[in-house]
Amino acid sequence: MRGEELKGHLDALLLAALEDGPRHGYAVIEALRESTGGRLDLPTGTIYPALRRLEQAGLTAGSWSVVAGRQRREYRLTSAGSRALSGKRADWQDFAAMISAALEGRPCPRPA
Amino acid sequence: MPETSLITDYLTALSAQLPAPMVEELADGLDQTRQHYLRQGLTPDGAAGAAVAEFGAPQVIVAAFTRLSPARHAARRLLAAGPVVGGCWAAALITGRAWTWPVPAAARLLFGVTLITVIGLLTAAAFGRRYISARRAGAAACIGITTLDGVMLITVMLAIPVLIWPVILAVAASAARLTFTARALRAVLTG
Repeated sequence: MRGEELKGHLDALLLAALEDGPRHGYAVIEALRESTGGRLDLPTGTIYPALRRLEQAGLTAGSWSVVAGRQRREYRLTSAGSRALSGKRADWQDFAAMISAALEGRPCPRPA
Repeated sequence: MPETSLITDYLTALSAQLPAPMVEELADGLDQTRQHYLRQGLTPDGAAGAAVAEFGAPQVIVAAFTRLSPARHAARRLLAAGPVVGGCWAAALITGRAWTWPVPAAARLLFGVTLITVIGLLTAAAFGRRYISARRAGAAACIGITTLDGVMLITVMLAIPVLIWPVILAVAASAARLTFTARALRAVLTG
């Protein structure tokens, strides 16, 4: 899946990758790679600005640590981030159910 | 190209356009990506090349960070507010018959040149694609705006003995902008 197709969904994917606990940028990329079966085709360098954007929005919180003499920035989900993730999940499920219904020619289920 | 040179060149390209903490974070991620490819059995050169390719073009990363820059956000807001504050001052100066004030022509010229420079700096900060350049332009513009608003407030206080409503409105607009600019400057310098 290419970056253009991910527009609008990247934030939800990043928040979901942080749901199990704090992660640094590379660990987030690894988690995304694992959860998408390696089908995510995104310049990984752009994950870092996206993580900063979520931090600016108050959805994640970043902190620095030193690992093997190198500065490493770790991100964790804030309570606002958890709420945003729940909302994005619900939106996605509604959207996916609506498109699936339309493609398969069956009635669209009512949103939960 | 040797792997160290490839990685170093990539990070040098980023360092020229991004603040050090962002480059530190990217360097850590790039190193871990390189290690990932080494574990997969690639040669050191191959791992470095694959890591750099996976990260993407430096200008794409720089542009993505620049879109988040406090300087860019501040500059866009100040550009949007400029006509409003300027309009308030135009009304105040016309009502106060500013052409009769004892302000030397050189001072008027200096004010005009500074104003045009500030607009140029704000435009550069608002639409520039390089984080560090946008930050410098944004900081300089904030200082310029603070100076211009300060000069206007002092001049009006000295030139107009009785405050009339257009002047009060312009003074309030400048005071609000000064408050915003002071906060924005702090964010620009630390962001």
